[in-house]
Amino acid sequence: MIQLFRVSKEYGRFRHALADVTCTIERGEFVFLTGPSGAGKSTFLKLLFRDEPPTSGQILVNGRNIGVLPASQIPYFRRSVGVVFQDFKLIRRKSVFENIAFVQNVLGLSRAEQKRRAYQVLKRVGLHHQMNAFPDELSGGEQQRVAIARAIVNEPTLLLADEPTGNLDPVLSEEIMRLFLEINIRGTTVLVATHDFDLIRRMGKRVLSLDRGRLRDAPLRRESAPSAVREAPFLPLG
Amino acid sequence: MVKPRYIFGEAWSIARSGARQTLLAVGLIALSLYVPALFALLSRNLGRLSSDAEAPAAVITLDPAADRREIARKVAEDPRVREVRIVSSDAALARFRRAYPELGAALGDLKEAPFPPTIEVRVRPAAARGAGTAIAAAARAWPGVEVAESEEEIGRRFADGVRIVRAAGLALGGVLVLAAILSVASAIRLALDLHRDEIEIMRLMGATETAVRAPFWLHATGEGLAGGTLALLLLYATFRLGVSYLARTPHPVLSMFWGSFLDWRGAALMPLIGAAAGLFGSMISLTRRT
Repeated sequence: MIQLFRVSKEYGRFRHALADVTCTIERGEFVFLTGPSGAGKSTFLKLLFRDEPPTSGQILVNGRNIGVLPASQIPYFRRSVGVVFQDFKLIRRKSVFENIAFVQNVLGLSRAEQKRRAYQVLKRVGLHHQMNAFPDELSGGEQQRVAIARAIVNEPTLLLADEPTGNLDPVLSEEIMRLFLEINIRGTTVLVATHDFDLIRRMGKRVLSLDRGRLRDAPLRRESAPSAVREAPFLPLG
Repeated sequence: MVKPRYIFGEAWSIARSGARQTLLAVGLIALSLYVPALFALLSRNLGRLSSDAEAPAAVITLDPAADRREIARKVAEDPRVREVRIVSSDAALARFRRAYPELGAALGDLKEAPFPPTIEVRVRPAAARGAGTAIAAAARAWPGVEVAESEEEIGRRFADGVRIVRAAGLALGGVLVLAAILSVASAIRLALDLHRDEIEIMRLMGATETAVRAPFWLHATGEGLAGGTLALLLLYATFRLGVSYLARTPHPVLSMFWGSFLDWRGAALMPLIGAAAGLFGSMISLTRRT
């Protein structure tokens, strides 16, 4: 599903955000990406949804080398990837529905179809009653759930989350993780960047650990097989 | 392919979300276009004066009771004369009304004809310099002639002056229009700064460059169109105020520069220039790196 071969990313001549990273993430897998601040987690994710190109190496997503994707193709590729950001990145002047239906609106889907899809994903994240609310009227946890709904509305094969619980309290964090797990169980590959080790331990998923841009052996790794084919691991969600 | 419904909907949403900024941009664009338009109006009136029929070499003002035809015949006998034209009081008034449609109406209430009958004398191109002065001097001695003045030198100087002023006007007007376009671009850039974050989000969500930019292009074009229309309305209001003032307090020089408003083509050009400036401003402001 996702393969990185000797991927490096440099900002200028002397700042190496990622150095010679090689790894594979299987289809349907749930993987944590961890490491201290500045380790290269966000850069890793940015490369995967082609926010930035790698300086060297190859990144294959579904067999396609996205490092050499023409600029005109990047938007279409991004529609196949769901991304959840720590700061939610919701458009404040748009309602919850409009934020979620944005891409479908661009594509010219009928309003009824947009509403149907938005309602479905909002129901999955428990916010179907907030369709017409604006981001500023929602709590942090609700905004993050809207961001997740927006990320999955196009039924992506890959979901990336960059510190999705960084701004949330522990209870909300677990709620968000449960959502990711549900999405993963339905077959979507999920990659979550976080430095919340407690959360990683409780989830018991595969871990990719970065340190100063290099991938190292993951001490928290418990399993190696794709998680989608296994029963959901321990999660004390009450 | 981006759907027009999306582009119009987004453009309207952008305008609504920053209503104050939109109004500010429209105001700035209106002011930017108003100044060169005012200049264009003055230039147009000046141009009209210079493009009027060839000025006479001499004008002979007659006593209303004089035999106009006889005096005209006498003038025409001079071999230097190419054309003699009798202008009656009514014809002079009609000519004034044509030249100054707004001010001409103010003369409608007068009981007496405000302009005396005249004879306009045009000389042949081969006639020596000063022919007009000589003809006027001779005519002063004839019965029925009240005044005879040579317009030769005045006409030549006026035509030269108008040519210089028009050339300067064109150059200055061009600079002002360029400045207006840059002002519009700045106003649009300010508006885009407000939406920079959401432009980034749109791109991250998989919006194509056309889908990101087209609503802003349309929004900016609309702002330019509204600004240009507002500038046109302001210009017309200024013109009406001027006409109303000059009708109450006529002024020999100002009246010449304030005779008529822009024709429909000139008037339509203002919103169009505003729209084009808005579109151009948004295009140079909204690059791929924005």
